[in-house]
Amino acid sequence: MRHLATPLRVGPVTLPNRLVLPAHLTNYAVDGAFTERHAAYYAARAAGGAGLVVTEEVSTDPADRPYEKLVHGHDPAVLPGMRRVVDAVHAHGVPVVAQVNHNGGQSDSLHTRTPVLAPSPVPDPLFREVPREATAADLARLVAGYADVAARCAAAGFDGVEVQAAQSSLVRQFLSGATNRRTDRYGGPLEHRARFLVEVLAAVREALGPGRALGVRLADEEGGGGGTTLAEAVATAGLVAGLVDYVSTTVGVATATLDRVVPPMTTPPGYARPVSAAVRAAVGVPVVGVGRFLTPAQAERALADGDCDLVGAVRAQIADPEFAAKALGGRAGEVRRCLGCNQDCVGRVGRNLPLGCVANPRAGREAPLPVPRRRRRVLVVGGGPAGLRAAATAAARGHAVTVWEQAPCTGGAVRLAASAPGRDGLRPLVDDLAAECARAGVTVRTGVRATARAVLAAAPDAVVLATGARPARPAWAGGSGLVVDVREVLAGAVAPDGDVLVVDDLGTAAATSVAELLAGRGCTVEVVTAALVVGQDLGLTLDRPAWERRAVALGIRRTTERLVTAVDGRTVRLLHHPTGATEERTVDRVVAVTPPRADDALWAALRDSGLEVHRVGDCLAPRRAGDATRDGDRAGLAV
Amino acid sequence: MLFGPHETNLGRGRALSARHVAHYARRAAGGCGVVVTETASVHVSDHPYERAPLAADCGPGWADVVAACRPHGSLVLAALGHTGAQGTSAHAQTALWAPSAVPDVVTREVPVAMEQPDVDALVAGFAAGTRVAVAAGVDGVEVDAGARSLLRQFLSGLTNARADGYGADRARLLREVLAAVRGSLGPGRVLALRLSCDEEAPWAGITPALAVRHVRELAPLVDLLVVVRGSGLAPSAYRPDGHVPPGFNTDLTRSVRAAAGGTPVVLQGSVVDAAAAQRALDGGVADAVEMTRAQLADAGLVRAVRAGRPVRPCTLCNQACQVRDVRNSPVSCVADPSDEEPLPDGAGRRVTVAGGGPAGLEAARLLASAGADVRLVERAGRLGGGLHTVAALPGRARFADLAGWLAGEVARLGVRVDLGTAADGGDVVTTGARARAGVTAAAVLAGAELPPGPVLVHDPAGAPAGVGVAELLAAAGREVVLVTPDAVAGERLGGDLGPANARLARAGVRRETSSVLLSAGEGVAVLADRWTGTERSVPCAVVVDAGPPLPGDVPPGAVGAGDAVAPRTVLEAVLEGRRAARAVLARAAP
Repeated sequence: MRHLATPLRVGPVTLPNRLVLPAHLTNYAVDGAFTERHAAYYAARAAGGAGLVVTEEVSTDPADRPYEKLVHGHDPAVLPGMRRVVDAVHAHGVPVVAQVNHNGGQSDSLHTRTPVLAPSPVPDPLFREVPREATAADLARLVAGYADVAARCAAAGFDGVEVQAAQSSLVRQFLSGATNRRTDRYGGPLEHRARFLVEVLAAVREALGPGRALGVRLADEEGGGGGTTLAEAVATAGLVAGLVDYVSTTVGVATATLDRVVPPMTTPPGYARPVSAAVRAAVGVPVVGVGRFLTPAQAERALADGDCDLVGAVRAQIADPEFAAKALGGRAGEVRRCLGCNQDCVGRVGRNLPLGCVANPRAGREAPLPVPRRRRRVLVVGGGPAGLRAAATAAARGHAVTVWEQAPCTGGAVRLAASAPGRDGLRPLVDDLAAECARAGVTVRTGVRATARAVLAAAPDAVVLATGARPARPAWAGGSGLVVDVREVLAGAVAPDGDVLVVDDLGTAAATSVAELLAGRGCTVEVVTAALVVGQDLGLTLDRPAWERRAVALGIRRTTERLVTAVDGRTVRLLHHPTGATEERTVDRVVAVTPPRADDALWAALRDSGLEVHRVGDCLAPRRAGDATRDGDRAGLAV
Repeated sequence: MLFGPHETNLGRGRALSARHVAHYARRAAGGCGVVVTETASVHVSDHPYERAPLAADCGPGWADVVAACRPHGSLVLAALGHTGAQGTSAHAQTALWAPSAVPDVVTREVPVAMEQPDVDALVAGFAAGTRVAVAAGVDGVEVDAGARSLLRQFLSGLTNARADGYGADRARLLREVLAAVRGSLGPGRVLALRLSCDEEAPWAGITPALAVRHVRELAPLVDLLVVVRGSGLAPSAYRPDGHVPPGFNTDLTRSVRAAAGGTPVVLQGSVVDAAAAQRALDGGVADAVEMTRAQLADAGLVRAVRAGRPVRPCTLCNQACQVRDVRNSPVSCVADPSDEEPLPDGAGRRVTVAGGGPAGLEAARLLASAGADVRLVERAGRLGGGLHTVAALPGRARFADLAGWLAGEVARLGVRVDLGTAADGGDVVTTGARARAGVTAAAVLAGAELPPGPVLVHDPAGAPAGVGVAELLAAAGREVVLVTPDAVAGERLGGDLGPANARLARAGVRRETSSVLLSAGEGVAVLADRWTGTERSVPCAVVVDAGPPLPGDVPPGAVGAGDAVAPRTVLEAVLEGRRAARAVLARAAP
């Protein structure tokens, strides 16, 4: 990790190493201000070795509020919160920069009840509100707004600011021919479209004064529609490099191609390296490269290859705040890896919920582990994500923990889910948890079938039940031998061939990935759902675009608004519920992707036994992996 | 007259706020008889939306609401509930509670089947919430067994498959809750029950016939019964938009009242017209009416009716008042989007308003009410502008009522109206949007003739116009294809999304989702799959553009409002009309 460990001067600021925590939304703001939660969150990453922290965006204009929990940088009342963030990060000797932004037309008036402003009245593809075209007077006011916020950041003690000119920003909309149709001196050729950015950077630099760094975040190509090309993006970097101390790169437009900004687990690590490499070749200031760096080795390689001067990794440091310290301290193998599952980071933030993490249930809840009064013997039954998380947390607190797992290996339902195409990114969740348990001294016994009698005989001080769920046969399956559960298919207990109907009642990747598995094996596959979309939750995790492409490539037929009513021989009866029309399919197999049933037999046998019993994960209620790790962590804290 | 419980997003944390108090006090001042506050969760296991009140945190807020409403003579009831499997685990991040482990169709979250300690905690929660409300001085509480409630989930065969006493007797939990609430309420206070009497899922759910049996058993236990409909399988049935005719619970309520043994019964369900409400009372349908959305549109509804003044109509659009949405926008109304505050005196001021759509009408109305001498210039032959375009959509006819009310008020206040007159400038310019080239949805709604053959409605917006025009054309016998880049048609329809897609399916409208329109001509349109770029052709004689129009023109020096500034919805037009009136009066007199 020689390159990662090398300090770097960025303008007047020296970074202790090359790992950056780039700007990302957290929804931790309350009343438009940074909170203690923000401070603790950033401080944990600084304590964990990050070389530079960039805060989430702070807005320059009261008329800009695309989402509820935006930080109102324009409001003088945010100053105390800014100072808390600065002090919390500086306490670990790490520089911290605020990202300054105006979202322009990538917003709507829901929260402000005033028209959104943009270079031209072109509705954003996500927000879809027709903006008001900014006048020359608006632009002068907006530039002054950037300067005002920069001055506030300087007063708060930030080491600098980063002007957002990518992803979601008014500056990006000026730079892009798709959104800038102006005929005045802010529109037309690139030099004109960049005028607003140049004016903003000049004003911000002046407001910052000496001794503070100024960065800019620039976009790559926007993919058609007259939008920015990579060549233009590189040219823009060249135009403004002389005005800034660093350039941070990114790919994708937040309101059009968010799956490129925060790609799902099917996107290969380092996918955006060519962008930073192209920019770096054109500018003389340090360049931040980003793009799903999951391991320290991937980050080190990007630096060694000269694709960037600094590596930005958001999700890797959400999942493991100590990513950098482990990388630089010879413990790279101990990093708790980001899965790219997007369920609790972008999947929650997109729903106006506080940022969380499936792999790290304490993300956004940074607090020291409570020390128990005495060391207790804890028995965890079930080695899936809930049980392993409970064991690791309890052991980290000093308890003597044993895990009993029925299967030959730990991992539970996650290991099964990870066996499907495109879902192998889930596997590090349980692999890393098992490793964490091992380091914490947890005794893991596999192939142990727990009974109430055995648990009572072991006489632990506390029991955590994490026994998971089992398939529940849907009513429409009747006695049909054609119908199998998705788990049986993934486990290899059944190998469908021929014509397969996948019935999706969950809307998760379970149905789509088993469809891919079977189509890949040569089956003719149709996925049917009563919902309006197959795999509706894939939208939240940004898996949809890639799934749609893979489904087309594999010839998977997707049918919506149909309920399965019966399976009769090889005939499956469907009801088109909006119209009441009936249809039939003749198939060789039906794969049911339906809600499983909690396996709570041990709970029923032990809850009144007098033992301290906790129930976590799917054996409480079959839910998602993040629910399992959160339940497990809570139980590990409670015992 | 009740102002029923509804989500507001006005809270601070999980407590009621000063904005809540003002919200309820406005309706009390407007003559409302009974204010029922936003349903508060009785237990921390229920956190269905971020600002959902929690009964334990509501004491001071309830006290403030009582203090603000009582001087107006209104009763205040505190609504208590638990949404069970119809909530979300997104906030509490704990498993949802339910009678049985049956996932709700909308949330798809598998809940945990409540065990006896949970049931006991729930009952105790209702009792504790009642004690907090009583200590705050409320006139009573309302227990929620409505469309979105754990108590209904226990009552229903759709969701209660328990093998214990709460399954054998599905009303047992509700009886226990009512007894506990009554015990905590003490004498002299009202116990009301909101009860779903039709789950619209007759194979296993509560039917009107079954509801009558419930009511015979439960009505003696309560003082007031609010009859509602809906369930997890019919989530939009409770407060549908204008696609469902107003007063849809009339027959249901009449039959329930007959079984209620004299317990007063309330008619709920898109009751938006005071005359219809009076007819229901006169006709023995109910003893009281709940007109929540009508009082969101006109906070002074009762006083207006008493005084014989026209009531500002609810449009039944659900656009701004249905706020169970992750974005947490505060409750509002397209017709009354802000609290009306007194304007500066306009006496002696002469003001010209150009454009007689919602923005111009609202500006003229306020200017005239402030005493200004107002001239309103409208190019068309009638007032209303874009309101008539909206009103031409299926289910949106009541937007014409809003136009009629605004025009009536403008006339009543002595505004001089020049119809059929092109604007010659003006102090306030609200002359609307500029149409895009081609055949637009607005033109079709205005009656433009289309050439024969298949129609392609291109809908990049997902707003009501695209789906509505497709429905209208299909109803007129046209072959219609609706093309959208989204995974579903009408992505922005909120509560009408599911019903709208069902209507399109029944109307035979072909939905081409995740699709981009590349070109059209010579009888075919070429579409590209949004994700793969794969091209395909569909028959197309004409393309109807359902995208938004372009901003209009606001001359320098004029105050612009509404679509002339940037094309948006009626809400923004009305709001900016208000702001324009204020801005003009704030200017120094010429």
